[in-house]
Amino acid sequence: MDDFFFSLVLAGISVGSVYALVALGLNLTFWTTKTLNFGQGSLMMLCAMLTVFLSSQGVAMALAVLGSLLVIAALGMFIERWTVRPALRSGGSTMGWVVSTLGFGIFLQGMAAKYFGSQAVAFPEVIFTAQDYVTLFGQYVSLQYLVVLAVAVVLILLLELFVRKTVWGQAVHAVSLDPELALVQGMPVRRIILGSFMLSSVLAGVAGVLIAQIGGTVDPAFGFDLVLLGFVAAVLGGMGSSLGALAGGLVVGLISKLVGGYVSTAAEHGIAFALLMLMLAVRPQGLFGRPEVSKA
Amino acid sequence: MTASVREETGATVEQPSLGPAALRRGLSRLVAHPLFQLALLALLLLGAGQLSSGTVQIASFVLIAAIFAQSINLLTGLAGQISLGHAGFFGIGAYCSGILVKSWGFDVAAAVPVAVLLAAATGWLLSFPANRVRDVYLAMMTLGFGMVFFEIVREWNDVTGGTMGLPGVPAAALRTLTILGFRMDGLDYFRLVLLVTALVLLLMRNLTQSRIGRAFFAIHVSEVAAGSIGIPSGSTKQLAYAVSGALAGLAGALYAHLVGYLGPESFALPRSIEVLVIAIVGGLGSIAGQVLSATLFTFLPERLQVFAEWQFIAYGLILTFSLLVLPKGIGGLLFEPPRFIKPRVLRRAAGLTADPAALRPQGEAAESLVVEGVTMRFGGLVAVDGVSLRLEPGRITALVGPNGSGKSTLVNVVSGIYRPTAGKVRFGERDITGLSDHQVAAARVVRTFQDPRLVPHFTVRENLLLGAHRLLRHSGAAATLGLPGAIAEEAEHLAMAEAVLALAGLTEVADRPIDTLPYGTRRMAEVGRALLARPRVILLDEPAAGLSEKEMERLAQLIRDMKAMGLAILLIDHHMDFLAELVDEVVVLDSGRMIYHGDIAGMRRDPQVIAAYLGDEATHA
Amino acid sequence: MQTIGRRALGGMAAGLAVLAAPGVLRAQGGTIKLGFTAALTGPFNEFGEGIRRGAEIAVEECNKAGGIRGRMAELAEVLDDQLVPDRAVQNLRRILDNKEIVGLMCPSGSGPTLAIADMAQADGRPFINPQAQTPAIVYPNGVDKPPRPNLFSISIGNLAESEKLGLALAGFSRIGVVHESTGYGVTGADLVRKAILARKPGARVTLESYNQRAQDMTAQLVRVQRAGAEAMLVIGLGADFAVIRRNMSRLNMNLALFGAAGAVTVPYIEGAGDLVAGTRAVNHAAFGRRPMHAEAQKFVDLYRAKHGTDRWYGPDAANPLVSLAGTVGSGYDCINLLLDAIRRSGGTSPAEMIAALDQTKDFAGATIPAVSFTPQNHVALKVEDLGTYEMLKRGDRVVLELRD
Repeated sequence: MDDFFFSLVLAGISVGSVYALVALGLNLTFWTTKTLNFGQGSLMMLCAMLTVFLSSQGVAMALAVLGSLLVIAALGMFIERWTVRPALRSGGSTMGWVVSTLGFGIFLQGMAAKYFGSQAVAFPEVIFTAQDYVTLFGQYVSLQYLVVLAVAVVLILLLELFVRKTVWGQAVHAVSLDPELALVQGMPVRRIILGSFMLSSVLAGVAGVLIAQIGGTVDPAFGFDLVLLGFVAAVLGGMGSSLGALAGGLVVGLISKLVGGYVSTAAEHGIAFALLMLMLAVRPQGLFGRPEVSKA
Repeated sequence: MTASVREETGATVEQPSLGPAALRRGLSRLVAHPLFQLALLALLLLGAGQLSSGTVQIASFVLIAAIFAQSINLLTGLAGQISLGHAGFFGIGAYCSGILVKSWGFDVAAAVPVAVLLAAATGWLLSFPANRVRDVYLAMMTLGFGMVFFEIVREWNDVTGGTMGLPGVPAAALRTLTILGFRMDGLDYFRLVLLVTALVLLLMRNLTQSRIGRAFFAIHVSEVAAGSIGIPSGSTKQLAYAVSGALAGLAGALYAHLVGYLGPESFALPRSIEVLVIAIVGGLGSIAGQVLSATLFTFLPERLQVFAEWQFIAYGLILTFSLLVLPKGIGGLLFEPPRFIKPRVLRRAAGLTADPAALRPQGEAAESLVVEGVTMRFGGLVAVDGVSLRLEPGRITALVGPNGSGKSTLVNVVSGIYRPTAGKVRFGERDITGLSDHQVAAARVVRTFQDPRLVPHFTVRENLLLGAHRLLRHSGAAATLGLPGAIAEEAEHLAMAEAVLALAGLTEVADRPIDTLPYGTRRMAEVGRALLARPRVILLDEPAAGLSEKEMERLAQLIRDMKAMGLAILLIDHHMDFLAELVDEVVVLDSGRMIYHGDIAGMRRDPQVIAAYLGDEATHA
Repeated sequence: MQTIGRRALGGMAAGLAVLAAPGVLRAQGGTIKLGFTAALTGPFNEFGEGIRRGAEIAVEECNKAGGIRGRMAELAEVLDDQLVPDRAVQNLRRILDNKEIVGLMCPSGSGPTLAIADMAQADGRPFINPQAQTPAIVYPNGVDKPPRPNLFSISIGNLAESEKLGLALAGFSRIGVVHESTGYGVTGADLVRKAILARKPGARVTLESYNQRAQDMTAQLVRVQRAGAEAMLVIGLGADFAVIRRNMSRLNMNLALFGAAGAVTVPYIEGAGDLVAGTRAVNHAAFGRRPMHAEAQKFVDLYRAKHGTDRWYGPDAANPLVSLAGTVGSGYDCINLLLDAIRRSGGTSPAEMIAALDQTKDFAGATIPAVSFTPQNHVALKVEDLGTYEMLKRGDRVVLELRD
């Protein structure tokens, strides 16, 4: 095992944990409504942009991040109320929500370009700097990435605990299985769904801030490609599975970095999507997902 | 076959607010009128000469976008399969034609068809993995397809020119285009593309109003229901993908010879999204709506340059709220909903009369359906446990039992939705165990569902004609071209549908969309549809549930008619009085096991039945 | 950040004012109409909006001096393509429909320019390319073949840039080139390799590509590292260069770092922060020389007077950003060259203007001190017009110092 291999593996784990974090956020809405927010990337972008804006206005960094997250959470509510709910209610088998959530994402991107400019702006270091690292097997491991990994792992643990051990978690589970039945049983289905969108958006915001500080810049199109890879991670691991999101993210990260390193860097991007198609064709439920219940 | 297949039950009762409705009717008639179409075509052909070449070029872009949008309309609007990677097909068409003409010296007239075929073949291939997934997974898979295509185009330098693109493709914009020896400038090319577009729209309309189009809608709404009347979801989807791919490929090839330069960025995700937007805002299912939407989205950004800054915002807002504001798109706003039987067929069928006696199985040996020791297990749960029964021609067998006793599961096994864990289903000499649902229907064993599964926006007549899909022998090409043979055959079956409509007492409502009608009427329509599939065995899953007294009488008469035709009938129901008058024998299930088999009088005396079933159902009946 | 929007609007208003300018001119055969399509908005408008500003300044200066033989100049058709090739094609067709347009500027960026190049040639009116780098724009059949007759270029072409980079990298024998997977990056990398090998046949050059806005470049970097590179060159845009620089820092990679002209822009400096110190880059030499040559100084003063020390100019009034030459100055020079051709030939027909452009000799441009074209050579920028800069940290500012 040489340094080359280790560097690639560490890079794969690093970017994999980024994808996992994005996928976790996507999963939350899938739990409750079987929908995904195709505009999730714009939420990541907007949270980072707002953080930059607020801190440039002299707001303390922690407050800037917090304020941005609040805005993003409110947007999550808006997305549920005005894009997903109408689409689901219209009973569209053509998946109107794909279009409406995507549309809202494009709208946010346009607004950001209009009011913050369409150029990349510098993103401040929130936690650690690019020069902070620890050494592992003689390799440098960036603390900025470790934070992402740690956040992803902690979130997975919290989400699992939440679903398994709390009353609300049970309720979420019930809603995911059969929303109508849950409603009949007197569960606050609407609030649970709304909550899942808010939380999903907040996770997108957190991911946006943590990722923007790694690259150092953020622009209106930031997040779009990342969400695509987040999709890949989520599908690979099994939609809706928290552990799957982590596994899927790591698999995508590792394979794309190893292919990039050993085969060709030109193939690095394409391989993730080839993997996505392959997985869907062979095992649509993903690594950790259960097959959908078949009932006529 | 998943739980996510849900019927659209939200009945949209249209209040006759005269103004807009009359306007819609007028506009629809105008647009559908052949004279108007010809006049418009002539106006564009001749009038284009008066326009600046920039406007003509934009108009060519509009037409190409319109063809591309039809490809989404067909796949998503008709067949219900979402695609986020259609730029891939567009790109395949563009690169294939561009490369063949530029590097291989093909004539455009030969290269474009090859490109269309290649795109169609790709669509057909993609349908196999795509058929394994649905909904959000399908969105992901098609997204992946588009991304993989984009990466391949970028990296395959030798063929596609890689990131540098493919310049110098003979094109109208470069004044280097010759087709079959004729030199073509931008105006000539526009006229050519216009004729192609007109042809595509015409064929598209024919397709929508043919057995193929109706089959697309049937699998769109419910693959299970489609299978039950012999429409195979797999091959129907393959066809939808192939035709959709072909249309997108055609648009791409025409695009290549319009601009003359192919760069990978032109075939990336934004183009897939753009065409989806055009199709959705145009109104899925509406052909004219797509054309208007393509015009809107191509012309406006180019003309309203000042608003470029606002473009993303406007685009996003349109996408976000189009469903709220215009749930049926521009097409739904301006036009009446389309109809799915060709007027020519309707006219022709009106002159024909069909005798329902022709529905009687003729010249075939009277065969029985035999269920032998069928067991169906779901995990640890035994839903059906070693049930055997026999359905004889001209006999009505009732299948009764409390809720959850396995009645519907047994019907699902027989009709091919479930493969039994153990046991056999035979029809005559033929073993039909484990055949897929459409094959079972083709073997002439047809069923109905507990909840009527019809195409909600089809009229009663259109829904009934869907039942005859299996029997229509003319090819998709004949249907799309509207060949006389296809028209004649369809008219013949439509005449039979009229006869069944009369039999079921549905003639009066034949022209009403099914989702505007009461539940009882829908049930009758579903039974009628099953009958039109010319079954020899018919399985009716609670057909009387929710019916009024009068409707029940009508249903009973229809069932007697079927018996008289010599059909073997299985009837699930709870209404003992209803059954008592009809059935020849009764099979009682309890917890998956058969606890009684015999006549209805004997059942009423049977202690086991009384304990298990009548104990809690007697009051109800 | 918000001010950019307002300034853009201000610029637009100024543009409109120019468009609505004096009606006196109509008496003398109308204005001299020029046009172009560029990325005026959208994520790549740094370049498109830049050349528009340059073009506006050139037109204003011309008209302030009384126009050309009494005829005023006018930017009659300025359209926005957002760097989308299709949109560029549509816009250009519309511009070319206006038969009064006598001269044009190519779009900002290689993609749209490649898309319209064949069309431009078929039309025949003179085009000058301000920014797109790929040689195929001017020399579609290879650089040893004649150029497109009506296309001229003053951009930092891949050819001259790779020559200069080859010179700058001459001291190293193992070199990694990391480039974006676009026309610009791929051709650039290929030419640089050839330039290096021509100078030093034994050198080992590793090429690695990445997709624009990739968030992690570890695979590319460790491959470069494994090849034992002593120096690394990045051909791409500034924001991605920042990602690469930070990624290097995470891998604790320390080697001599070089950037192509497109990479050393504001996003790199802002995104990579202190890490930029030591990065060397090739760019127009004109704005780095002190004193600047007269035309450059004139342009810089005009820009500052009109727009102040903004994002394009940079915060330091005395020292404009070196990138101002490429983003704004090239637009200014393009329009001035077209006007100069009209001035010298006295006519505005394509034949007259192209003949005049072909004879351009030592025209004083802002970005290139002496622009010359011949019928065989339509590329003005020479290796000498480029400089190698080193980025240094001065107080809390990053400055670029011209090394050679």
